[in-house]
Amino acid sequence: MILAAGINNSILVVVLASAVVYGTPLLFAALGELLAERSGVLNLGVEGMMLVGAVMGFWAVQRTGNLGLAVLVAAVAGAAMAAIHAFLVITLRANQIVSGLALTIFAGAAGLSSYLGNDLNLADEPARRSFGAVFPHGWQTLPVVGPIVFQNTWLVYGSWICVVLIALYLTRTRLGLNVRAVGESPAAADAMGINVAAYRYAHTLVGGAFAGVGGACFSLAITPQWVAGLTEGAGWIAIALVIFAFWRPALCLVGAYFFGAFSDLSSVLQARGVTIAPEFFQALPYVMTVVVLVAVSGAGARRRLGAPGALGRPYVREER
Amino acid sequence: MTDAARASAVRLSGIVKRFPGVVANDGVDFEAAEGEVHALLGENGAGKSTLSNILTGLYRPDEGEIRLYGEPVSFASPRDALDARICMVHQHFRLVEPFTVAENVILGDHRGEGRKFLVHPSRIERRVAELGERYRIQVDPEARVWQLSLGEQQRVEILKALYRDARILILDEPTAVLTPQEAESLFATLRVMAGEGRTVIFISHKLHEVKAVSDRVTVLRAGKTIATVDTADATPRSLASLMVGREVAAVERQEHEDVRGEPVLEVADLWAVGDRGGDAVRGVDLTVRAGEIVAIAGVAGNGQRELAETITGMRPPSRGSVAVAGRTLRGGDAREAIRAGIAHVPEDRLHTGVAPSLSIASNVVLKSYRDAIASAGPLLRLRAIRDFAASLIARYDVRGGGPDAPARLLSGGNLQKVVLAREFSGEPRVLVVASPTRGLDVAAIETVHGYLRDAAARGVGVLLISEDLDEILALADRIAVLYEGRVVGERDAETATVEDLGLLMAGGEAAA
Amino acid sequence: MIRVERRLRQPWWLTIVVPVGSLVVAAGVMSLVLLATHHAPGPTFRRLFDAAFVGQDDLNNTIVSATPLIFTGLCAAVAFRMQLFNIGGEGQLYAGSITGALAGLLLGEHSGWLSVPLMIVFGALGGAALALIPGILRAWFSTSEIITSLMLNYVLALVLNYLIFDSHSYFRDLSPEAATFPQGKILPAAASWPTFDLGGIVLPFGFLAGIVLALVVWVLYQRTRFGFEVQVIGDSPRAARYAGMRTRRKILAVLALSGLLAGLGGASQTGDFRHVLDPRGLPAGNYGYTGIVVAALARYNPFAIVVVAFLLGGLQNAGYTLQGADFPSGLVGVMQGVILFCALGSELLVRYRVRFPRLRPAEAAA
Repeated sequence: MILAAGINNSILVVVLASAVVYGTPLLFAALGELLAERSGVLNLGVEGMMLVGAVMGFWAVQRTGNLGLAVLVAAVAGAAMAAIHAFLVITLRANQIVSGLALTIFAGAAGLSSYLGNDLNLADEPARRSFGAVFPHGWQTLPVVGPIVFQNTWLVYGSWICVVLIALYLTRTRLGLNVRAVGESPAAADAMGINVAAYRYAHTLVGGAFAGVGGACFSLAITPQWVAGLTEGAGWIAIALVIFAFWRPALCLVGAYFFGAFSDLSSVLQARGVTIAPEFFQALPYVMTVVVLVAVSGAGARRRLGAPGALGRPYVREER
Repeated sequence: MTDAARASAVRLSGIVKRFPGVVANDGVDFEAAEGEVHALLGENGAGKSTLSNILTGLYRPDEGEIRLYGEPVSFASPRDALDARICMVHQHFRLVEPFTVAENVILGDHRGEGRKFLVHPSRIERRVAELGERYRIQVDPEARVWQLSLGEQQRVEILKALYRDARILILDEPTAVLTPQEAESLFATLRVMAGEGRTVIFISHKLHEVKAVSDRVTVLRAGKTIATVDTADATPRSLASLMVGREVAAVERQEHEDVRGEPVLEVADLWAVGDRGGDAVRGVDLTVRAGEIVAIAGVAGNGQRELAETITGMRPPSRGSVAVAGRTLRGGDAREAIRAGIAHVPEDRLHTGVAPSLSIASNVVLKSYRDAIASAGPLLRLRAIRDFAASLIARYDVRGGGPDAPARLLSGGNLQKVVLAREFSGEPRVLVVASPTRGLDVAAIETVHGYLRDAAARGVGVLLISEDLDEILALADRIAVLYEGRVVGERDAETATVEDLGLLMAGGEAAA
Repeated sequence: MIRVERRLRQPWWLTIVVPVGSLVVAAGVMSLVLLATHHAPGPTFRRLFDAAFVGQDDLNNTIVSATPLIFTGLCAAVAFRMQLFNIGGEGQLYAGSITGALAGLLLGEHSGWLSVPLMIVFGALGGAALALIPGILRAWFSTSEIITSLMLNYVLALVLNYLIFDSHSYFRDLSPEAATFPQGKILPAAASWPTFDLGGIVLPFGFLAGIVLALVVWVLYQRTRFGFEVQVIGDSPRAARYAGMRTRRKILAVLALSGLLAGLGGASQTGDFRHVLDPRGLPAGNYGYTGIVVAALARYNPFAIVVVAFLLGGLQNAGYTLQGADFPSGLVGVMQGVILFCALGSELLVRYRVRFPRLRPAEAAA
């Protein structure tokens, strides 16, 4: 038992455990963005969708005390935000980059999420309920796997299931084949009777729902309360993460925990007498994403590594 | 082979389809029977593609009726047309490049293997192989589409149709990516399909193809149906006059005075890397003399575009040299090539030849904006540019817009005139032209050919890169055949034959 | 069934009717949002307008809010004209405010007139240098400048934090009074940029500089060879390559110019208004991102940018002033978002014509 406590106190285990905690919102948001991007829609509004998910999830739990319902509300709220983007870029063919940024401004820390939070008087309220560990205490103190695997909330285990399901969905199912075709070559998909707009709508909305859940991870588990802008840029890291993971769900998991590890690394080190400015670790995900982007920039490399061919481009049937 | 013996497979009546500024189909009637190869003949812009897009559910007609096997139908989407077993091989293939052949074949299928929630493309690989065997169109089902040549990609498209057991197959200008021999073998496949009771609609503007493959021909002109005739009763000449609306002289060689002079373009052992990596141009040697038209023949995708880009400085050579009038260029610098006197009419007029949203005036100074005619120091002389554009528009008879109109509003022929006007205004020594008449109507083709002949007569060395053998045979003095980035043979145009060139285009030098 | 067709020609009146129409729609949507959250739209709009544009003090504050938006709006527009998405205006503004502050602090109190021009030069260089990172990556590795410039915003925000909160940097006030609440060193008075009084309306130097720069950008893009090349590359990179234009150099030049403009905005923040390197206030302004909104609403026209910056600046300023229980913070962001959504959506009406083909000819004629 003492031995277990020693191991569990070792820096590696502590960092890995916090990586899972802080990586989970990134993972949800990145999976959502991955689905949207695989259908060809780039949504830079992740941060905004996460924040609205966070505030609405928290509101739901304060009203009902039901965490499951709160997650559902967060998902719906995220999807509702994504619906604006979807309508603008798919139906109205607006520029995806500007629309995504507009969504972040609209929904973000100085926008709707903060408006809702203040208007619903959610600030400074203690959470009625929040997600706790699923497994009994005895399991949580097991060496190594205790803190990393068994100390987690349903949100974490749910995210693992999502990774597996999305990976299977994209590679093994008919719908997954179709959505990849829509993201790669909408003209080909259209000619083969696949409804490009419907696929793009569906995946953008589901992507928003995932982002909403990602935001709820903060307000229902990590923080757990509501403060304006509580995601602190996690949405942008999620966008970076999708590139970092070459548009693959399994790699999203690895990347999310890798980036998640940096969130709290500075305080972990500080507790052990090593002082490194937190900004250094916080900046690493952004810098590494730039490096990865450069590494995969060649047109050939992009294709091999999985960037959807039609990402960011509206699809209009050939006109004369 | 009488019509009465066959049931009507598809009947379109009174089809009208309008686009902003044009009526693409203006009351078209069209009927094709079961088991026939029916050609749809017309000039570019006659409305053939629009009609086929209506038949495949991509466009909805504004007016008119579609009947399949006697039943009226209305297609809300391509899926409805696919369900009715109408398939189309588009001119620009509708394939997902990173997917395998099998994945492309199964895509969108919701009746066979693809109906299942879990897909197993590997399971249909066998079926694809069987179909390939039966119709003699081999292609590796596990290959990724981007690895395939254009000819192979076309076979994938046909396999997609066969996999869906198409009753009606439409092919839009399918021979552009094929050698004459490959085209023959495609025709054989189409015959087999027709023999099984399928209807093949073959869209083309090439008379001899129509003559070779079809049972009947429907001729479209300016969005209207002109006539439907039995192919056996028609001659290329009669079809041509139906298509154009007047008597046309068949494209023929015009003897011109031999003014061949000193070499103006010398290409030695030129190599260049293609967009996908790998050598696209592999050791090309070429000489063009002043006043000579040298043609590069070949099937699309054999390095023509890369060769043109490398000679004109748009693409850096990995080895070898390009020299203009004896002076060797550093290479990989379009500005240097322009200054040396190389003019270039690129294959992709609309996005390379011009900046489409910019005005015609801006586009006529696209290459000379730094010269005194267009700018004084860093400032542009906007009025001078406009006047210059107006003078070129008048001289080259460009119709469809003044100096301020965006270039994209021009028709293909007028756009090509703008490009030619600009290129000639630089008084070039060498003119590299790629597919200069693709997509143009007969009148515009004649105009463009006239300009090219005139240029040669003025002593410009013309390098004509084209996939159209008729065009090459009509214009060129010498013909070099490009295959997989190499010149595999050179012929004198006077003595060259289509069969001989076709073999070279397929890579065979043995014929020589 | 609605059909959308590409317009062949865009009638001139669309450029007036469409933006005005989209503003009206935005006001309608905003009213719905307010009603849904139990606020009366009419009075809210009225209060916003009053707090933004009525009264000398309000107007002066609006000019203060508008100044950085002119710079970041121009920053976004000059890049977008070449189809480059510099989302890094935010970070470039921080960079300019850091380098600007550096110049002001280094020169100290007794520099005479030298402080202001050097702050301007340093600020411009700081922004340009940061923008050159995505520029070089785009030009030589064809890495998307969208994500790289975006990522650098966060890096620079962290640098800003680090300089004041987590280090003993040159920028930080290390006096004992500031030990508990870390803050930047106050810049010497010589580093304060001049202001111009126009009958009670105070025009900061940066505001006037922004207007002049808008004119410069317009001339550069409409009347010079450089602008011509930018137009061609923006419209069709292949045509530019075909015409022998030096695309790489142009990418570097345009992104450097873009970053330079944002950097000047940052220097103006330090020199005109804050007189200190402010790691809280700068990110809170959201100037870089709002600049993209400004540019998009102005349809990338430099003069329109000045006007739109003034309007949005008024909105932001009113938001700060009114913030309170009955005017929840966040409302301004919501309004900005709604306006931008409507403007983006209406873009379709400029480029396309919407038709209702089910109407019979007779009905359509009636």
